[in-house]
Amino acid sequence: MKNLTDEELMILVSNGNLDMMSILFDRYHIRIFNFLLKMTRDRDISQDITQEAFYKAIKYRTSYKKGKFSSWIYTIARNIFSDYYQSQKNKDQPLDEIEYKTEREEANGIEKSEIKEQLNRALGQLNQSDRELVIMNRYQGIKYQEIAEITGSTAGAVKTKVHRAIHKLKDHYLQNI
Amino acid sequence: MNCNQIEEQLIDYLDNNLDQKEHRVIATHLTTCNSCQESLQELQLVFGGIDNDPVELPDASMKVNFEEMLQKEKEILSDSKIVSLRKNSKNSWKTVLQIAATVALIVSAYFYGKQENNESFSQEMAVLEKEKVQLKQEVTISLIENKSASKRLQAVNYAEEFEKPGNEILKALINKMFYDDHINVRLAAAEALTKFSDSEMVRKALIDALEMEQDPGMQIELIQILVSIQEKRAVPSMEKLLQNEETPSYVKDQVTIGLPSLI
Repeated sequence: MKNLTDEELMILVSNGNLDMMSILFDRYHIRIFNFLLKMTRDRDISQDITQEAFYKAIKYRTSYKKGKFSSWIYTIARNIFSDYYQSQKNKDQPLDEIEYKTEREEANGIEKSEIKEQLNRALGQLNQSDRELVIMNRYQGIKYQEIAEITGSTAGAVKTKVHRAIHKLKDHYLQNI
Repeated sequence: MNCNQIEEQLIDYLDNNLDQKEHRVIATHLTTCNSCQESLQELQLVFGGIDNDPVELPDASMKVNFEEMLQKEKEILSDSKIVSLRKNSKNSWKTVLQIAATVALIVSAYFYGKQENNESFSQEMAVLEKEKVQLKQEVTISLIENKSASKRLQAVNYAEEFEKPGNEILKALINKMFYDDHINVRLAAAEALTKFSDSEMVRKALIDALEMEQDPGMQIELIQILVSIQEKRAVPSMEKLLQNEETPSYVKDQVTIGLPSLI
């Protein structure tokens, strides 16, 4: 079973073999968690959303339609994140506040990864869409085409936006030093 | 290529996304241009930082929570396998009922509409029919006084067509039967009145007419009518006709044929 592709496993899941989701969880939960951690900078929230994403993948397994599994699970995670972000907005409690808090906690702990922290700060200065594109493309190594599938865009548009976002990130980073 | 264009391609240059020719152009430019060289180094710094960004591991509890959740979902699935059958059969009944209700609604709507239509239609028709009858009566009465005998005849024939003519029509017909100058009009009137012999007024008029009538043809017609409606009160007038010497013999013959069936 372990040598089946993501898509083959997901088809088995959607046909009622729920145990196969365990393999997909092992393959993807760390990546999804890291994506969310970069977006939220909050371990607890990131773990909750990751958990929720796989819960929804099981719940709505029959709505899976043969596409790339990784795109599908990212799309689910993204939707939950954006719902969460919306509810935070409605509560009038900006996401930046939570970010800032965790950032300082981490900064006190580890000193050697100063470049990493500067980059994280620069990431936080990007708008959400740019941040997401940089995280997906540069941190997670997701190809333009797949990002286009996840975000509902085209590969060409994604590439242009990612390049622009990287230059913005670089500028913020250099300003912060 | 100027520096701006070069800078836009630096990411692809670092990612090795350019073909050989483009790659060479940029490599050559970089050896001569310090500012582009600087930009490249900045990008390399950022990319290096990102690449060295350690992958964070979630708490071990996540896997445990996931397995628990999976277990629950499996239980729901095996439960729902039984429930879902029942649910399905319920649903199929529901579907059948829904279809039946839809059909019933359509059919009843059709008949309701049809009936509505019929009702209003027949109401309209009744009004029209009533108007038509009224019109016909008026026409008949006015025609019946016409100078032309053929028009009067036509009017009498119209009058005959009424199912339940008003008293006005009957009186007009009786009047014609008594007094019209033309024998054919009198005959037609008498014939028409036969149809309405249920009315006492008509019967009396027919008896009176026999008494008054001088024309033998009309007399024979009246005798036949009175016999056919079994009017016994006409017997005295008929006997009078028999005794009258002026009565033509063929009229008397008609009376002798008719009388026995009356008495």
